[in-house]
This record gives sequence, C-alpha cells and structure tokens, in this order.
Amino acid sequence: MSKGDKILDAKNIVMDFHSKGVTVHAVGDVSFSVNEGETMGIVGESGCGKTTLGRCIVRAYEPTGGQVMYTTSEGELIDFLKIDKKTMKQYRKEIQMIFQDPYSSLDPRMTVLDIIKEPLLANFPDMKKEEMEKRVMDIAAKVGLNTTYLKRYPHAFSGGQRQRIGIARALVLNPRIIVCDESVSALDVSIQAQVINLLHELQKEFGLTYLFISHDLSVVEYISDRVGVMYLGKMVEFAPTKKLFSHPMHPYTESLLSAVPVADPTKQMERIPLEGEIPNPANPPTGCYFHTRCRYCTERCSKEAPEYKELEPEHFVACHRAQELKLKGFDYDD
Amino acid sequence: MEQDVKKTVPDHDETIIEVRDLRINIKVDEGTLTAVRGVNFEIKKGETLGLVGESGCGKSLTSKAILGINDKKCKASGEIIFDADGLGRVNLLELDPRGKEIRSVRGKQISMIFQEPMVAFSPMYTIGDQINEATRLHITKDKKKSKEISLDVMKKVGIANAEKRYNQYPHEFSGGMLQRALIAMALVCNPKLLIADEPTTALDVTIQAQILEIMKELQKDFGMSILFITHDLGVVAGMCDRVAVMYLGKVVETGTAADIYANPQHPYTQGLLGSVHKIGTKNQDKLFSIEGTVPVAMNLPAGCGFYERCGKRIEGVCNVSEPELVDTGCGHKIACFACTGCPNAKKEGKANE
Ligand SMILES: Nc1ncnc2c1ncn2[C@@H]1O[C@H](COP(=O)(O)OP(=O)(O)O)[C@@H](O)[C@H]1O
Ligand SMILES: Nc1ncnc2c1ncn2[C@@H]1O[C@H](COP(=O)(O)OP(=O)(O)O)[C@@H](O)[C@H]1O
Ligand code: SF4
Ligand SMILES: [Mg+2]
Ligand SMILES: [Mg+2]
Repeated sequence: MSKGDKILDAKNIVMDFHSKGVTVHAVGDVSFSVNEGETMGIVGESGCGKTTLGRCIVRAYEPTGGQVMYTTSEGELIDFLKIDKKTMKQYRKEIQMIFQDPYSSLDPRMTVLDIIKEPLLANFPDMKKEEMEKRVMDIAAKVGLNTTYLKRYPHAFSGGQRQRIGIARALVLNPRIIVCDESVSALDVSIQAQVINLLHELQKEFGLTYLFISHDLSVVEYISDRVGVMYLGKMVEFAPTKKLFSHPMHPYTESLLSAVPVADPTKQMERIPLEGEIPNPANPPTGCYFHTRCRYCTERCSKEAPEYKELEPEHFVACHRAQELKLKGFDYDD
Repeated sequence: MEQDVKKTVPDHDETIIEVRDLRINIKVDEGTLTAVRGVNFEIKKGETLGLVGESGCGKSLTSKAILGINDKKCKASGEIIFDADGLGRVNLLELDPRGKEIRSVRGKQISMIFQEPMVAFSPMYTIGDQINEATRLHITKDKKKSKEISLDVMKKVGIANAEKRYNQYPHEFSGGMLQRALIAMALVCNPKLLIADEPTTALDVTIQAQILEIMKELQKDFGMSILFITHDLGVVAGMCDRVAVMYLGKVVETGTAADIYANPQHPYTQGLLGSVHKIGTKNQDKLFSIEGTVPVAMNLPAGCGFYERCGKRIEGVCNVSEPELVDTGCGHKIACFACTGCPNAKKEGKANE
C-alpha cells in the first residue's frame, strides 16, 4: 500500500442513541473515505455528530449500522466493525483517537509516564519494562515534553502540555490512523499553533493519516486535504479543502463559511445569516434536514430528502439545488 | 518620554471611560499574584474597544475591576475614570464597592454580559421576571410600563415570540437565546458602557455571527460604548474600532483595529497575529508560533514580561527596566524597547524614536 491509497472507507454509518424513550439519530447514514497519509477534516456545529462519528470509526461506540472498511498494513481489507475480539486487538492499535478535553481525559491519579505507558501495557503485555520505558521516553521527547518531568501528575502541566501527553499516548502504539477530536480547540492560539505544527511534523515523519474533527473552520482549512461538513448527523458536503472553502455547493456550508470570523478588518465577508436554530436530532425535519433554515428552500426540499452524490469530481453534496445555485465562498490568494 | 501627566483628569468630551495604570494584586497561598500589572486604555462615546489576549492575561479581572465586583482578596490600584451621570468624572476605584454611588453606576450606566449566560440567570425565575427586575430597579416602578419596556428590549435583541418567552425559564432557552436574553437585561437601562466578556466564546459560529450582528445593530440604536473582551482575533477584527492587546497583565499595544492588524509592532502582537491562520492565504509550511508558555505572574523578574519568549529582545535593556506604553505619534501605542514606531507615524514624520 502506498501514500494516497484508500486506507479507510466508511460506508453508511448510523448511530442511534436511545434514552428516556426517545431515539437520537446522532449519525445518520454517513459515508466517506480517507486516503493514506492525508488529513481529512470534519466540521460542523456542536451536536451535529462529529464526536459520535469519530467514536464509531475507532469502535469506541458500536454503530447501529454501517461498515468501516480498513486496509491493514499488510494490504488486507477488513471491516473494522465486524472483526472478532482477537483480530480487533491486533488492529485496534493501528487506529487511535485523541480526545477532546486535555483536562478531563487524563487520569489525575496516574503519573504522565504511566499514562503514556498504559496503552503499551494493554497491547504488548510481553514487552520488557526497559523497552517500554524507552519507548515512552522517545515518544515524550518527540512530542516536545520535558522527559525529566514525566514522574509528575497531569495537573502540573499546562493545557498545551496535556494535549501533548494525549498525543504521546496515542502515538506510543505506532498507529497508522489518528482520530483527533477537537484536539486544539481548548488551547490559546499561540499554543494551538505549536500543537498544529507538531501534528504536521509527526504526520510527515510517520506517514500518519488524520481524521481531524473540529468546529474551528480556520484550523481545519489549514490542516486538511479534504473536508466534510456535517449537519444534524448527516454529511451534507465533502470536497478537497480549497474547493469546499472557495466554491461550496451546499447552502449550509455557505452560511457556515460566511460566519467564520476573519482576523483581518479589511477582509470581512458578507454574512449569510442562518435563521433559527438547529432542530432537535431526535425529531429531525422532513425532506432535506436543512430546509427549515435554508434561504434557497423550495417545496421539493421539504418533502424529499436529497441524495448525497458526487456532483463534480471528488465533490459530494446532498442538496436538490446544488448544481443551479452559485454559492459564495472565500477568495483565495492564488 | 512624553506621556500624559498622570493623575489629572482630561476633559475630553468624548472619552467616557479611561483606565490608567490599573494594577491588581491577589493574595494566594504561595504569595502574591501580580495578575494585572499596568492596564491603560480609554473608550470614546459610541466606540467599541477590543481587549484581547490569551487566557489568564487579566482581561476578566480588568473588566470586573471597572464594576467593582472582584473578590475581596484582589487589591486594585490605579485609576478608572468614568464619566458618570449624576457624579461627573469619578475614579470608580475610589468608590465604596457597596455604596450608593457605585450602585448608581453598576448595572445602570455600565452593564456587563459574559461567557456563561446560564450563570447570570437564576434557574428559579422566568427570564421575563429577571429582565423586568432590572427595568423596575432602574427605570420605572410602574408594573405595566416596565413589562412593556422589558418585552420591547427582548424583541430588539431578536427573541422571537417574546410574549411567550417572557414566561419561560432559563433551561427552556438555548445557549444563543440565553445570550440574547442576557444582552436584553444588560441593555434595558440604556447603559453608557456595555462590558462584554467573551460573550460568544461558548457559542457556535453561526450563532456567534447572529449575536455579534445584533450587538452591532443595538450599538447603533442605543449609542453605547462597548468594551469587548475576547481571545479571538477574528471576532475583534469584525467588531472593534480600536484594540488593546494584553500580555501578562499589561496592555502592550493599542491602536485602531486597522492599524494593529496591518502594522502590529509589539513582538507579542506580531506573534499572536502570526499564529492565526487566515482562510484563503497560502499554506505556509508551518504556522508561526510563539515559543514557550506564559509565566506565572508571581515574583516576576525585572524588565519586560515578554522577555523570555521574545525574538527581538535586547539583552541589558529589556531585562533591566520595564517598557512603558508610548504613543508613536498617531495614537498607536507600544510598550517595547525594540519597537521603533508605527510606520504610519513615520510617514507623517512623527515617529517617536
Ligand atoms: N452517549 C450519548 N447518549 C445520548 N445522546 C448522545 C450521546 N452522545 C451524543 N449524543 C447526542 O448525539 C448528538 C451528536 O453529538 P456529538 O457527536 O457529541 O456532536 P458533536 O461532537 O458534533 O458536538 C447530539 O444531539 C448529542 O446530544
Ligand atoms: N479570584 C482569584 N483568585 C486567584 N487568582 C485569580 C483570581 N481571579 C483571577 N486570578 C488569576 O489572575 C490571572 C488573570 O485572570 P483573568 O482576569 O480571569 O484572566 P483572563 O480573563 O484574561 O483569562 C489568572 O492567572 C488567574 O488565574
Ligand atoms: S435541498 Fe433545498 S433546503 Fe436542502 S440545502 Fe438544498 S436548497 Fe436548501
Ligand atoms: Mg464533539
Ligand atoms: Mg476571562
């Protein structure tokens, strides 16, 4: 397998949560693929199902339906969601997740050394103690942690450092794919830039594939090769980054882009306001889920759900009017 | 160095609030935090000033000092001169924090909204009752009139079905709607100054855009000044007329938004702006990042607070004395020994070198 080949092919992922007699359709029939060595971004507002989707991919949740076809390092194609426990154990380390919150995702009673070592203990129980510690030290140094402080507890570390601990913990198993869920969202910009640069370097060095989940569109635009936009549990648009940001084809993407604050007073975009609020995912609208807020809505939109289709090469959209609308995106320098 | 002579109150009509050399020390177990170490800015009538800086730099302490609502253990010094109706120009720091005078200012002439609207509302009372309480306290005791006024403000901030919403409780509101309700409560007495401390940080971008739009419209209607506090340089660029950049408890650079974004001079401002990726600009291989982390504001060494992390530091100068905020001649002020001045001022031949 070489860089650029399909490493992950998620098909028709569905995740329903049942609680208090209602069913929340957190993820509804989402399909996308990820190529080896690339960063695929997923954006959308809170509650649209990004975290749930990420957790389904790493099988931290058992999805209600769908397939995650994974091409193993040996080139074998397996359905990550169907494999048995033993095979799972073998491949789980190849797909890791870095969790959202650098404050709550680290066990406060464990030293940082033990936190980073834990996945090794679980996955390589036979590994020698010295080898394990060496591996932890190497990874810690790689992500820019001061290795003399590893015997300390997480509370002694700043937000940026804790995020590095989370990255080290994911990296220690030598994964091929890392799902980053809002991995830099809680950090101040200058620290955010440090961590983004680190993720970049690690990707180059280890040929990592990232699924980068974030509500921050500027960060996603910077880091991703391709980007998917989610709304109310559905993928509404998916395209190479520049295409998506400069020529969006879905009305929701257009509004979302127009709402992004731009750090330049001379380049303020005209906002395309979204009326109202996101509907309840337990009780989604009929037809196109976005029709209640869409400025281009027609009668058909309220009755018939649009199909998610490849309308231009590599550009997937779920909107009845995608081809006739001329939507606004960002101007690019070149 | 030519600076305004301290301790005199300027009689510039337009300036409604002026913060001078504000310092706040906080006693903690380990010693004294010099959490705010020199904040200087002024806000003119109808203008929006953005106070930006990373978390912990002292933005919220500064805003709460204006209202006199910091913890007792926070000791503030300096001056906060406010042009108060009925009191004239007063130093808010000199008012009794529980006295009648500050109460005639707080919540009436200066009101505040913050990041977590949930905290501002009591879960026990309806939104309408809570907004109305402010109306009755400050505007009119007449029940019917005050409800009318409260409803009117709720409509102005874009709360649909205001009559129905009036009788609902905070938990029945979404985050965005609650922030609107909080803005309504803050605006009901037509304040001169609205302090907005990270008002949209907890909201999604499309909701944030709605709230920011509303704030701009209301500012036109009500004519109030806004102190807009945020860590988000994108939000500042779209909202503010002028900007004050804080680092480690100090304003290190201030000027018009246009000037700060086009010609940032302080190495920290440059680093901060460099760290933010702008959509549509060419992908650099690396984002600019400021090395290291912000030090803890306790027993700080002499000199500039940014010294340890600064790429332009001059040894023997920057680590010896502290740079003061100096006007470069065009209203753009910088606190840095390595800065030679604003290019705009130079063009006009007014550089302060
Ligand atoms: N464990 C759960 N039980 C019930 N509902 C959930 C659970 N996790 C998420 N949800 C719901 O699923 C939807 C998607 O949530 P999430 O994936 O966290 O969105 P995002 O990460 O995009 O903010 C939301 O409506 C959320 O309330
Ligand atoms: N009540 C307090 N007790 C102790 N430390 C405080 C208190 N309030 C603020 N601080 C400290 O003062 C500094 C500035 O805080 P704050 O004004 O809240 O920062 P910002 O709003 O810019 O994020 C921080 O280091 C914070 O930890
Ligand atoms: S299908 Fe209709 S309602 Fe949905 S996004 Fe397209 S135009 Fe809008
Ligand atoms: Mg999430
Ligand atoms: Mg704050």
